[in-house]
Amino acid sequence: MDPCEIEFIGENRIISIIPNFTYDKIYLICGEFGPFRAGLPLNVPLWLAMMLKQKQKCRIVPPDWMDIDVLENIKEEEKRSRFFTKMPNEHYMVEAKLILGAAAEDVPNSSEIKTIIKDIWDIRMSKLRTSMDALMKSGGGYGRLDHLTMMEINSVKPLLPAAMDNLLRIQMKTKKTAPTSSLNTSSFSQSGTSQHT
Amino acid sequence: MENTSYLSIQDILVTNEKVPCKFLHDLPKMGFLDPSATEEDLKAGTHLDIPLWLAESLYSRRPPLISVELPKIYKESYREILGADACTVDMHKLGKYFYEMGCYVAKHDIKGEVSATLMNTFRQRFRMLLSASVSNDSISSMQPLSESERVQAAAAATTERALAMWLQRGESPLTAANMVANHRKRKRAEMEML
Repeated sequence: MDPCEIEFIGENRIISIIPNFTYDKIYLICGEFGPFRAGLPLNVPLWLAMMLKQKQKCRIVPPDWMDIDVLENIKEEEKRSRFFTKMPNEHYMVEAKLILGAAAEDVPNSSEIKTIIKDIWDIRMSKLRTSMDALMKSGGGYGRLDHLTMMEINSVKPLLPAAMDNLLRIQMKTKKTAPTSSLNTSSFSQSGTSQHT
Repeated sequence: MENTSYLSIQDILVTNEKVPCKFLHDLPKMGFLDPSATEEDLKAGTHLDIPLWLAESLYSRRPPLISVELPKIYKESYREILGADACTVDMHKLGKYFYEMGCYVAKHDIKGEVSATLMNTFRQRFRMLLSASVSNDSISSMQPLSESERVQAAAAATTERALAMWLQRGESPLTAANMVANHRKRKRAEMEML
């Protein structure tokens, strides 16, 4: 998948805005939003918020997690832990990129936040690479993807599944020809137990 | 062989690689297989390099007409090198189709160690794929990879580039999907405009 497509999926997240105009309810495929009252916060999808912001029709209320202290904590924990920690948001990177790109003035300390989020992203990506290598070295049978966001999973997509596929194919092909005249089931159980070869 | 697609070009290329064989019987009128032979018949005990597809079919006869020996990259000495550090080996020079070929010849290995070598090699060399996918100097990092590894590394590099592009640019410009761009009507419209 292209990162733009994931951005598209991520744009369906609901965020809070403060409009500066008054308008009736609007009816969209993903639901009905409104009515818009100038000065009163309401929830809309991210893409709509971006559109209104670009037309200078609203102010964006930054999400709770877009705060220096919260992000510092996440970063520290991410550094300390050997595993991936839970992110505050399944599409944190998309949301951060869009909001900080179009509405940086609505977020207090936006440039620091930008740096911290980039740090978190870099830490997680390097962790992902090392754990991928470790996974292949240790056998490459299966891996857990706890707390990885969609964008991160997508970044390893053609490489890791293809490598695991290849490994399994080599295993199956070379085992099948071993002198066993029994049924196929035996080759399955063989490949299951020979992980540590 | 089962599990391989008959019309796959990749597989055809793999089975066209030569393997060393020893003929176990006299074969009448087959002397042309050995370019150095002067007689019409092929004598038992001749050592020859023949393509894998021919070797497979001669070997699977009952009784087998040939015995297949391992190509040198799968032999003991190379297995030791691969076991020590697989990343130092230039696969493109030594065995373009290392893994695919290995799957075919593994059954001719009496000790049954080829299978383990193949898997260990793949696991160790996975790191090379990773670094080749992010490397700026793609030519030198792709050089020692085998054919199938190159395909994988190239695919990974494409994703990596797309992600870097996405992170860099502020707004993503809209482009037509591939399917739409390749559509005949669209192409004709473009042609007429020119």
